[in-house]
Amino acid sequence: MTQTETQTPKVRYADEVQVGDKLPKLVKSPVTLNQLVRYSGASGDFNPLHTDPKVGEMIGTGGVIAHGMLVMGFVGQLVSEYVGPAALRKFNVRFKGMTHLDDIITCTGFVTEKTEVEGETRISGKVQATDQNGDLKVAGTFTAALPKR
Amino acid sequence: MFDKSKVGQSFAPFSIEVERAKIRELALAIGDTNPIYHSREAAQAAGHKDIPLYPTGPTLFNFWGNRYGGSNLSSVGINVMRILHGEEEYEYLAPIYAGDTITGTTIILDGKNRQGKDGSSMDIVTTETRYTNQNNQPVLTARTTIVVRE
Repeated sequence: MTQTETQTPKVRYADEVQVGDKLPKLVKSPVTLNQLVRYSGASGDFNPLHTDPKVGEMIGTGGVIAHGMLVMGFVGQLVSEYVGPAALRKFNVRFKGMTHLDDIITCTGFVTEKTEVEGETRISGKVQATDQNGDLKVAGTFTAALPKR
Repeated sequence: MFDKSKVGQSFAPFSIEVERAKIRELALAIGDTNPIYHSREAAQAAGHKDIPLYPTGPTLFNFWGNRYGGSNLSSVGINVMRILHGEEEYEYLAPIYAGDTITGTTIILDGKNRQGKDGSSMDIVTTETRYTNQNNQPVLTARTTIVVRE
């Protein structure tokens, strides 16, 4: 479903990451109604404003809107591909804008900090997701503990 | 308007088993084809005990495990029909794998009311859920901030 070929993330070692490094950009396929139905079933969030266009029109969101957590999931994929799921220590996002059908979400991020904490090397970074017009959907941060060689 | 005396209130704990198929389903819906989220063999080959929880997998605990989440919020006066998701934060304290049983306890961490210049009113409420696994080990803290427009 992604436009880039997904690979099993290799282990990313502490000495491979420096402050200022960019996470490889993740460009997602356009959001479809089928995907929102799928995400509803997967996540258990069956709020109809994500799947029923009539509800979307009624509450004035201009059709269905994607689950914020789906877009956080896209950013989760970005981070997971960069550090692997076991390395993640903290991940947070603020929801900034609604995502509609056919939006193409691009996730980007960069490393802002690298510190030694309790014998671990931890990196922190800023991440965000924007649409094809550059409008911000979510912005957040992550922290991960990276192994030494 | 949010009743500040509700800050600190806790709700009954809830439990859920972490299921391989649900992690796989979530990854598929997101469009993440990384095999560690789809196959136990691939996860083990990558050094995991089993399929690891997806980074945003805690949402499964909230929607599938916390059956009274909505009525808990209603019970402190929040109109659940008017909730917008403002912010979501996870602190991963220990690995969570398929097969684990997770127990969460939610408290109202913070809440405030904001009055707009146009006379509008909104509540901003943050809940915190602390999760332990079957060995009583703390594994995750989740914080959710919701915005309730009145």
